[in-house]
Amino acid sequence: MAANYWASTQRRHWLFSREKLADIREALWEKDKVAHSQFPLPDQRLLNIYFNQQLIKLGKRMSTRQQAIATAQVYLKRFYTKNEIRQTSPYLVLTTAFYLACKMEECPQHIRFVVGEARGLWPEFITPDVAKLGECEFALISEMSSQLIVHHPYRTLSELETELSLATEEVALAWSVINDHYLTDLPLLHPPHVIAIMAIFLAVVFKPAHPVTYPVTAQSALSGSLMSEGSGLQMLAALSDKTGSGPPPKIQKLIGWLAESEVDIKAVIECTQELVSLYEVWEQYSEKNCKELLGRMVKSKNLDK
Amino acid sequence: MALSPFGSRSPSMTVHSPNTAIRLRATAAQNSVAGSTAAVAKPMPDGDRELTEQLNIEVRERYVKDKKVGEGTYAVVYVGHLQDDPSSRVAIKKIKVNAEYKDGLAMDAVREVKYLQELKHPNVITLHDVFSSKDQNLSLVLEFLPGGDLEMLIKDSDIHYGVADIKAWMGMLARGVWWCHENFVLHRDIKPNNLLIASDGEVKLADFGLARSFADPLFNMTHQVITRWYRPPELLYGARQYSGAVDVWSMGMVFAELLLRVPFVAGSTDLDQITKICEAFGTPTEDNWPGVSKLPYYIPTDKAQVVPLQGRDFFLRQFPTAGPVGADLLMSMCALDPRKRSTAVQCLRHNWWTMDPRPTQNQDLPRKSGGTQKMGDDLTRRGGELDEGMFKNAARQLDFGMK
Repeated sequence: MAANYWASTQRRHWLFSREKLADIREALWEKDKVAHSQFPLPDQRLLNIYFNQQLIKLGKRMSTRQQAIATAQVYLKRFYTKNEIRQTSPYLVLTTAFYLACKMEECPQHIRFVVGEARGLWPEFITPDVAKLGECEFALISEMSSQLIVHHPYRTLSELETELSLATEEVALAWSVINDHYLTDLPLLHPPHVIAIMAIFLAVVFKPAHPVTYPVTAQSALSGSLMSEGSGLQMLAALSDKTGSGPPPKIQKLIGWLAESEVDIKAVIECTQELVSLYEVWEQYSEKNCKELLGRMVKSKNLDK
Repeated sequence: MALSPFGSRSPSMTVHSPNTAIRLRATAAQNSVAGSTAAVAKPMPDGDRELTEQLNIEVRERYVKDKKVGEGTYAVVYVGHLQDDPSSRVAIKKIKVNAEYKDGLAMDAVREVKYLQELKHPNVITLHDVFSSKDQNLSLVLEFLPGGDLEMLIKDSDIHYGVADIKAWMGMLARGVWWCHENFVLHRDIKPNNLLIASDGEVKLADFGLARSFADPLFNMTHQVITRWYRPPELLYGARQYSGAVDVWSMGMVFAELLLRVPFVAGSTDLDQITKICEAFGTPTEDNWPGVSKLPYYIPTDKAQVVPLQGRDFFLRQFPTAGPVGADLLMSMCALDPRKRSTAVQCLRHNWWTMDPRPTQNQDLPRKSGGTQKMGDDLTRRGGELDEGMFKNAARQLDFGMK
């Protein structure tokens, strides 16, 4: 992380209220109602899940840092607050976001290599011409007003690890919750420390109920990939499983720490809600469906040209 | 509640490439395919882009380019002004994207934009705006700095300056560097011609083309940074993990150069540079720098040729103008072992600043005309390059594949 979050362009220009974000999307919809009715797309979160999976596939064969994938996801979100997805070729934007994020997170990949990988994955949507990626990179940078540094919650999590004496598996779980929050609008709505605290909170509160299931999640999180589909359900199960007995000492400590901190508790709770509903929506996720709808849109609008 | 982003654990877990062969094949295949380029089209139809396009045009039209003041391989610099205020002055650095389109946007340009967007400080060049132009070039609207740079003043024998002036310049430099480090940014190319001077005499740190944020612990960075004469011994020895101490060494070299009016250790090759450093400051050994022999490019020196580590009297003798306290500060910036070197904040806390003579007021600092042209040259240069013809193409080895 470079520079100070509080003075950052992220805080000043890329933090929206829920209403503002809704207005922006409404405006995009107003502009092109025809395309919207002609090309229905799945819920934004389901699309995000799809995009994230594609990004992971893309990054798999290059040694990509988890953080670059996270940054790429934030770039996508920022880009699509200014552009209607139905006017773009999502696969090209996706690849470009990945390419730029790699540069930004100091793990640059050669443009030919990225295009090569992307073509391997989506041959019908990516042309072999690297200049297109170059152009799209340019567009992406301009659309984001060249504000490229993204502050992530991972650092806060690491920072608080010792402070709140978190166990390894709690950190791992919190880590994967952070990975998951990129599937929602949260990165545009809340500062990274709020997200990190929400993740810690979820990890600490829900871990004791299901000690057995977590190694799987933790492992998949550590390998830099997304929580498996099932883990969303586990989280749900954990939520409903909560029993009413008094909180154990660790949770008490966390509560005490939160009370003394000046973290916006309401925001943390809101984030928790958002995550829970993400896991609910996740059940409807179908990769095939996303792929088909996007493919139809790109093909019939000739967006890949 | 502000949380420090320092942490023991880093978000740098890598998804490892399982098979290099696949990777190579993919690249090779790509190379052969790329020969048959398809027709270039806009990445997306114009449709809904009017709004952001409009914003961009608004920014672009806010500025007027007056004249070209410099052209380099990767950028052209113009002096310009605000449309509605003809008395204002800005520098517009237009990055030649098209030249390197096929390779994406140059890392230098990306870095420069990335960091200048976030770093705002009186001693760091201000980025006013960024816009793209019709021919798809990226333009950076920078602060206009007509005072030239420190190199120009050092080299001009008609300019006389004293220790109070040096103190003022060094103070501004140290504050700029401190600000970068405070924001977790390494500049990695501090040298006199990257220290530009504003019309009010303020020194501004410019050229962030080699800058990067502090790496996560144990994450490797490239050692091929910083122009040779200002490069610290740990980088010459190939260290891949380093800290703000690299910039402090460069600062020390600038300090020495200001005092002597010639570069203090000016090697003609990397090897020559390390030899000259050893001759000047002493030979790095396990005694004065534990761990040095483990650095990748460390070369053991013959026992007979080991130069003992120079003490205070050396600095006093070499830099009499600095005075004993000034020499002491310089010595702390030039410690061979980066762990023993002062940090930027320690430099700023040194007694030297508050001693007599006090730093010269900005308006009384020596200045020289012709600075606009110099700014043009400075802003078009690529990071890590020496201006001297004999070293052309020698310093810059930054490429993909390194971190």
